Amino acid sequence: MNAYRDQYATLFHGGKDVVLLAISADSVETLASWAKDADFPFTFLSDAHGDAGKLYGAWLPEHQLDNRSLFVVGPNGKVTYRATPFREVDPTAYEELGAAVKAAAGGPTSSGY
Amino acid sequence: MKLARWAAAAWALGVWTAPAAAQQEQGPTVGQRAPDFALPAATRAGTQARPVRLRDFKGKTVVLAFFYKARTKG
Repeated sequence: MNAYRDQYATLFHGGKDVVLLAISADSVETLASWAKDADFPFTFLSDAHGDAGKLYGAWLPEHQLDNRSLFVVGPNGKVTYRATPFREVDPTAYEELGAAVKAAAGGPTSSGY
Repeated sequence: MKLARWAAAAWALGVWTAPAAAQQEQGPTVGQRAPDFALPAATRAGTQARPVRLRDFKGKTVVLAFFYKARTKG
């Protein structure tokens, strides 16, 4: 998450028309306290029961955790990019993500969810 | 002899590609609609009163970053 924070401006246009949702099985209180301590500028979601993780194939039932993985959803509600698993220590993974976000944001804005 | 070599190659291929294929083939693929969900939310300002739904962000680009655990690297 530190890499996301440090590259927030370049990767996510500083949050302008791009929303980053960081999702884990942690409680909402744990996520809020971590976000405060580390000064993360984005939103965290508590996926304690794996509701979202199961829909996205990220949930690891044996560990009760969400696996590191990433999806870019375009303005039309469709997946434009997926990195499963996301190689969080590989700098090229972030470059790829930045390009994917740029491509998605520049895409058509028709239709909805 | 040739057949045995083919069988061995096929077996090896099966063995070596199986873990990669099992890695994460679930979830929506590129071009598919992103499934909607609603989850309790938090920001650095604290916990939020209302859950966040993916469809709340219609018209915007959304990055969903699943991760293991708070206060860990990555």
